[in-house]
Amino acid sequence: MNNGIEKESSAELTLIRLRGEVDLSWSQQVREAVLDAQKLSRKVGVVLSEVSYIDSSGIAALVEGFQNARTKQGGFALVAVSTSVRSVLELARLDRVLPIVADASAIPDAASVPVWKP
Amino acid sequence: MAAVQARLAAHSEARALVFLADLSAALAVSLDLRQTLSEAVRRIAEFMDAEAASLFLLTEGEGMLECRVCVGPIDIAGLRIPLGQGVVGRCVAENASQIVADAASDERVDRSNDSDTGFITRSLLCAPLSTANGPIGALEVVNKRSGGTFSAEDAEILRLVAAPTSLAINNARMAHELVQQARMKREFDLARRMQKSLLPKRRRDGFPLLGMNLPAHEISGDFYDYFDLADGRIGFVIGDVSGKGLDAALLMVRAASLLRWVGKEGTPPSEWLARVNEELCQTSLEGRFVCALVGKCDRNGERVEIAAAGFPPALRYKDGEFTEYLSGGAPLGILPGMSFEASRIDLRGASLYCFSDGLTDVRDAERQTIGSEGVRALIQRHAGASAEPRLRGMVTELKHLRLVDDTTLLLVERMQVQGPEVLLKRRFPAQAEQMRDIRNRLRSALDDAGVESALRDQLVLVVDEACCNVIRHAYGPGQSGDIDLRVSRDGAALEFVISDTAPAVDPETIKAKPLGECRSGGLGVALMEQVMDEWSLCGLPCGCGNRLTMRKRIGDRGQVGEIRE
Repeated sequence: MNNGIEKESSAELTLIRLRGEVDLSWSQQVREAVLDAQKLSRKVGVVLSEVSYIDSSGIAALVEGFQNARTKQGGFALVAVSTSVRSVLELARLDRVLPIVADASAIPDAASVPVWKP
Repeated sequence: MAAVQARLAAHSEARALVFLADLSAALAVSLDLRQTLSEAVRRIAEFMDAEAASLFLLTEGEGMLECRVCVGPIDIAGLRIPLGQGVVGRCVAENASQIVADAASDERVDRSNDSDTGFITRSLLCAPLSTANGPIGALEVVNKRSGGTFSAEDAEILRLVAAPTSLAINNARMAHELVQQARMKREFDLARRMQKSLLPKRRRDGFPLLGMNLPAHEISGDFYDYFDLADGRIGFVIGDVSGKGLDAALLMVRAASLLRWVGKEGTPPSEWLARVNEELCQTSLEGRFVCALVGKCDRNGERVEIAAAGFPPALRYKDGEFTEYLSGGAPLGILPGMSFEASRIDLRGASLYCFSDGLTDVRDAERQTIGSEGVRALIQRHAGASAEPRLRGMVTELKHLRLVDDTTLLLVERMQVQGPEVLLKRRFPAQAEQMRDIRNRLRSALDDAGVESALRDQLVLVVDEACCNVIRHAYGPGQSGDIDLRVSRDGAALEFVISDTAPAVDPETIKAKPLGECRSGGLGVALMEQVMDEWSLCGLPCGCGNRLTMRKRIGDRGQVGEIRE
């Protein structure tokens, strides 16, 4: 699977669709794509269903997007997370911190303070 | 009067229906067909008011009908009638009921039997037994006790009785076939186990040979063997018998033992093959033949002498280069008096791969044979690993492809006496773009080592993180250099060593942040702590460069035995 970023934008919502292996070689592009989208739309979703690998630099880009949304009172979520991404999120114990939704319609309006659900 | 007749008719119809239903039920639940059929024929005779009744079945491939069951004054069980002859023969040949009102004058009746036994046949009724695949036999009733002849109604009833009878016979035959198949399967399983037990046990302590055998079918026509010779060297054999199935397997056993016994005497490879060839040519192999490669090597796996008979070329691999050793003669068991040329091979620092044509015939995703190029690529892909994980890796890869023939491979090389197996050794530029390839290589190396997939992914992630830290922090922007990655396994312990030539990093500055914390940065080290059992970072002695060593125990799957399927 080739790496790639696709965007679907409106003032309300931007969906960033990532594909391939998100690693240090292009995680900066992912970071910029997320931050740019947050300037444009109130809600941003990062679709991860076609991501077969993600490293901590990729996770960092997602974490930054989430933090940015909280500051700006915007909506942010990871959408349709693949099993391999989920395993990394679980390993980093971020699966209960970053909002994860099944599809774009479930992206919250504003990033809430995470609720720890044991 | 008409009313009485109608009542009688209704009564006899009801009686016939009950009779048919009972008989069908008895036949349907029959476990012992012979007994059920005897009982059925007796009841048919009784119901039809006949002096005698019999059941004939077609014998397989002979065009004869044989009486299997009979009731009546004369026992005609075993009587054989050619298809088309007499009433029964005609009934089956035409697949149509026959009614004979007056046997004495009917030309269809063969009266020879009567004259032998003194039984007088007066009237006859015969109905064919058939299945979807055509006729299988006939039911016959003879002489109405009350005198008179069999009616059209009788013929109809016998025809109706024939249906469940045919069904029961067919079911019993299919059940019998299933039992036969199950028995065959058991015997095949036994043969397969027996064959496996003929392959030599894996030997350790630096034994220079390692073999694998992947049968494409239940039993294999391939074999390999190795044994100690009186002069301290080791003899080895790899072979492939033409054909598949039991006959090939039996010839394989014979060829394998001949090759072993001639080889054990210390016979030089060319003479070794010549003698086995003579022996095999003395008995008819019905067009079958044996392809084989025999050889001797010293215990260090450094000097090898081989000779081959119709066997695919052996490949010597050294530092990325292949040398091919073509077969020195034709297959064994075809022509007596053949000679076989031997090759001496310097195997210092090299490996020798001997394999049956099943390996080159393996099909890739496009169903194309991988050929000798594919075999070379396969060897090259796994060349970085030590012998055992290498062969295991090749087997894993082959299993994802399509085996069309038995596949056997024998590896000769100097083996490490003990110590860790190297799973992956790689030097690469410290660039983020390199990491995808490194991850792929590491993933397959860990697969080959039998690490289960969830742990494999975590280990790949952590090694990636560690390398990225070297790229980002140790070298940093504007600095270039290489990373050395070495992954090894010692029993159940995996070791990952990542070395660089960047300025020394103070280990005290490497800190993990708590997991689950929503802050980017420091996650890589936290993951390393989470996944690995231990890790340490130290400066290299020259004062330039760092070495990160990480260890992880994996479930001990025990030592690897013979690589077989």
